[in-house]
Parts: sequence; C-alpha cells; structure tokens
Amino acid sequence: MLKTDKVTIKFGGLTAVNEVSVHIKPNQITGLIGPNGAGKTTFFNCISGVYTPNSGKVMFQGKEIQGSKPYQINKLGITRTYQNINLFRKMTVQENVLVGMHSRLKSNYLTDMFHIPSQQREEKEAYAKAYEWLKFVGLEPYAKDQTGSLSYGKQRLLEIVRGLASDPKLILLDEPAAGMNSQEKLELDELLQRILKLGVTILMVEHDMKLVMNVCHEIYVLAEGKLLAHGTPEEVQNNPDVITAYLGGE
Amino acid sequence: MNPDMSKQEKRKKLLPVLVLLVLTLLLPVFLNEYPLMLCCTIFYYIIAVSGLDILFGYSGQISLGHAAFYAIGAYGSALLHNHLHLPIFVTMIIAACIATGVGALLAVPASKLVFHFLSLSTIAFGEIVYQLLVHSPGNITGDFKGINSTQMAFCGQPFSYRNYFFFALLMVIIFLLAKFFLVNSKTGRAFTAIRENSHAANGMGINVRRYKVMAFATSAFYMAFAGAMYMHLVGYVHPDTFQKKQSVLFLTMLLFGGTGTMFGPIIGVISVELLIESLRSLQEFQGFVYGILLLIVIVALPGGLYGGLRDIYAYCKRKLGKGDSGSEVSKNAENG
Ligand SMILES: Nc1ncnc2c1ncn2[C@@H]1O[C@H](COP(=O)(O)OP(=O)(O)OP(=O)(O)O)[C@@H](O)[C@H]1O
Ligand SMILES: [Mg+2]
Repeated sequence: MLKTDKVTIKFGGLTAVNEVSVHIKPNQITGLIGPNGAGKTTFFNCISGVYTPNSGKVMFQGKEIQGSKPYQINKLGITRTYQNINLFRKMTVQENVLVGMHSRLKSNYLTDMFHIPSQQREEKEAYAKAYEWLKFVGLEPYAKDQTGSLSYGKQRLLEIVRGLASDPKLILLDEPAAGMNSQEKLELDELLQRILKLGVTILMVEHDMKLVMNVCHEIYVLAEGKLLAHGTPEEVQNNPDVITAYLGGE
Repeated sequence: MNPDMSKQEKRKKLLPVLVLLVLTLLLPVFLNEYPLMLCCTIFYYIIAVSGLDILFGYSGQISLGHAAFYAIGAYGSALLHNHLHLPIFVTMIIAACIATGVGALLAVPASKLVFHFLSLSTIAFGEIVYQLLVHSPGNITGDFKGINSTQMAFCGQPFSYRNYFFFALLMVIIFLLAKFFLVNSKTGRAFTAIRENSHAANGMGINVRRYKVMAFATSAFYMAFAGAMYMHLVGYVHPDTFQKKQSVLFLTMLLFGGTGTMFGPIIGVISVELLIESLRSLQEFQGFVYGILLLIVIVALPGGLYGGLRDIYAYCKRKLGKGDSGSEVSKNAENG
C-alpha cells in the first residue's frame, strides 16, 4: 500500500527523519511509536506532502508521491489527522465533515454560484452523507454546533471522521487518543476496528502503549529520526534496543 | 442555509428578507431626488462591500487596494462605452470581467503571501492603478480632470434616479443571491476552511492557492461592477475617488457591519454611508470618522454591528426563556 524508501529530512543541522524505510500493508493497523521528538510527526508530514523529503522516496500504490502537494495526496487517497487539532473552529461540526468531502464533490465555482439543479442535488446528498459520517463516530447530536465548542476528545473524533469523509485508502492518525478519557479510549479501540472494516488502512502514531499493543498488527519504532525496530507488538516489546531507548526510558 | 433544512425553517429565514425587500420597493414612493440618489449609492456600495466580504470575511485575505478594481470598473466601462459605443450594461459587464482578470493575475503571486505582506502588495497595487489613472498613456483617462460618460438610459431616455433605483436594486438582488449561493456551497466552504486553517484545508484536498485566486477574482468582479454602476449613475468620475481612502472606506463599512455574513455588509454600508452623509460639513474629518468606527469595532464589537445585533437578539430570546437556542447557531459567525 504505502512504501517509503530511505526518507530523510533535515532542518538545518538536525536530521529529523533519517533514512526511514517502511512498508505499510493494506487492511491492517500499523503503529509508529517512539519517544518525544523522534520524528514521528515529521515523518507523517513527509508522507502527506507537508514537507518534501531531502532524499528518499514515498510510494503510494506503486506511484511516487514525494514532492506532491497535500491536496494532491489527499485526492490520491491518503488523509490524516493532526497531533495539535486542526479543525475549522468557526464552522459547524457537519461543515467540517463536508470540507473533508471536498475532493469527492463534483460541483465547481460556476455551478456553485448559479446553484444549478445538479449542484443542489449533490449538496443535498453531501449533507446527508456528512450526517451519516457523524453517526459513524456518534457526533450527530452536535451536527449544527460550532466546532470550537466540542470537547477535546470529540474534536479528535471529528478530525478522524473529517478525514474519512474523503473516502481514503489510508488514514494517518497522529496521536488520536491524546486528551481522551479512558472511556473514550475504549471507544476509539472499537472505532479503529470499524474503520478497518470500511477498507481503510491505518497508520497510527500513539503514545498510549496499551492501546498500541492492543490494536496494532505491526509496529515501527523510531528514535532520534532513525528506524530502531520493526515487528509484531510482541517482537517490539521484547526487543532490547526498544526497551533501552523507549520503554525503559519511561 | 442547509439543503437539509425543513421547509418551515427556510420560510422563517426568508420572511424577513421579503419584508425588507417590500419596504425597500416602497421607498421611491416617499423619497425625492436626493435621498433616492443616496439609496443608489448605498446599493452599489452594498455590491462592492459584499464582494470584499467574499475575499476578507470568508476567505480571510485582506486587500487595501480594492479601490483599484472599483476604478477599473468605472473607467473601463466609460472608455468602452465612449469609444466602442457598446450598450452601457454590456460595457459594465466587460469592465467587470477585465477587473476579474486583473484580480486573478494579481492574486496568483499574492496568494503565496501571508496576511501583512498581502496587505502591503495590495496597497502598492492600488497606488499603481491610481498613478495610471492620473498619468495615462495618451491621456485617455483624462488624467487629473477625470472622465465623462453617458448616464444610463432606456430607449434614449436617460434614467431618472427613480429608474436607477430599481435597476440598482435588481443588481443588488442578483449579486447578493450569487454571493449567497457561492458561500453556501463547496466553494464557499473551501473559502471559509482556508480562513479558519489553511494548513488543514490543504490537507483536506483543497487547492488553497486556486481558491484564494478565485476569491480574489470574484471580489474584483463585484468591486468593478459597483464602480461601473457609480460611473453611469453620475456620468462623471474624478481620479481622487479612487485613492487609498476609498479602499479604507470599503473596509470600514465591512468591518463595521460585520464580516462573513450576508447582512453585515448591508448594515455596514447603510450605517456608515448615512453617518458620512450627516457629517458632510465635516468632510476633512472623514478619515478621523473611519478611524473611530474601526476602533469601536476592534475594541467593542468584534462581530460588527450585525454580530452585535445578533448577540442582543440571542440574549433577549434566552431571557424570554424560550429555550429554543440551537436553531440559530451562527454558522457564519463573526470572525476576529
Ligand atoms: N518545522 C520544523 N523546523 C525545525 N525543526 C523541526 C520542525 N518540525 C520538527 N522539528 C524537529 O524535529 C524533531 C522531530 O519532531 P517531531 O514533531 O516529528 O517529533 P515527534 O516524534 O512527533 O514527537 P512527539 O511525540 O512529541 O509528537 C524535533 O526535534 C523537532 O524539534
Ligand atoms: Mg508528534
């Protein structure tokens, strides 16, 4: 599904991501873990087009995508959430999902301005679809609320569903459980399974080890920009390098 | 307005608009020439400021040089009419299209810029256009003297202010309807998403630069059409009308009325225009008045007059204990 080949990115003297090669397999949850500042978010930014790697390749379904813009990568079928929530705060909850559907809607500037019947029909369907998406994460009671008024945990759910609304093949989740209470974390676990059932592959950065070890089929460990280990949750947990660099450090 | 709103809700929203329209249509019965001309001014200003709102209120880009597009519309339509003798309505549209093209060309590099650099480059653009007006090649714009053109006419009969009133009102309805459709669509959501978080908008599949250019070009069309309406209302324009202070006036009206809404620009134009009109004798203090209005908005009324009125309305409704709060959640809430 997604492969990276020795992706490297430098910020001045700092090599934030150093020759990282991963292979994300379809229809499973892959975890990406590592201590703070390991370069996980930066790696996500390389995949989603926010940064262009200084060297290395990012291949999505056999196509090289490094250097493409985020909106182009979104159209190809990769969406994401953000570690520091990036919602459209003064839009309604439902409108946030509608923006997520942007690249799947066919209307254009002129059909929008002239409000032609096919545009009206599409909008009507889009609103209904967005509402269905909200139901998927249980946010439909808040559809008409302003997004800024949602609790932290609910904002995380909205980010996920806004990403899903573009019918992606791969979703990158950057610390989806951060700021969630234990009840919400349980529900997240179950939500991730339902996302898989939609046929969406998941790559997830997460600090909550219990959650990661529970849900991930495969885990990559980053430390100081370098790939430290890779394997099943058991393999990673028992890897001495990981224990010293990461688990031991906590 | 959502497509999944019930008929009843839609009717409830439409009613005040219809009442307003009927009241406006009755105005010519009571008003004589001068106030009618003032109404016409208010009408084309509403078009101009609503256009600016698409740019600033919805997509979050600033322009301090929009008087330049206003000028392109006024001079463009006059020149096309004077030299090519095309019908006025046609020259108005052509001039507005030219301004749209110029706006798009300006926006392509400008859309890369962040807020304060954008405001600087638009000031420069406004200055360049002004200089071109007063030092034009072959003196086609009449330089410092300005330019004459014909007033609007129908079958050889020049429009009275009363005729023009209805023409301008029709234009306001068309332009506001187009704005309404635009901002409540995929395109409008993209504009707002860019304003709210351009980083995330990009990540969600929106070609940010392209939509910024669209917003800029659209606002240029509105501005220029308003400029052309001004030209053919008075039949004469002077370059001094298109200086920086006109751009500031448009922004003041927008901010004072409230950004990112349908009614904000209308309320802003009416209140500021009436205020200026009643302070005509203090013309040299105009800049001072704009400054005070802007300060009021920045300090006390971040949502503008419309936002303030809406807050008061919501407050009263709550006080009356109707408990029906969720229905009017400000979807295009005032932005800071
Ligand atoms: N735009 C940038 N410019 C300069 N340095 C950056 C930039 N983005 C990230 N860094 C640096 O790169 C390193 C990796 O940061 P990154 O945010 O990817 O870590 P992370 O693994 O996501 O950490 P956390 O678990 O805290 O989210 C850090 O040292 C950070 O300071
Ligand atoms: Mg991070």
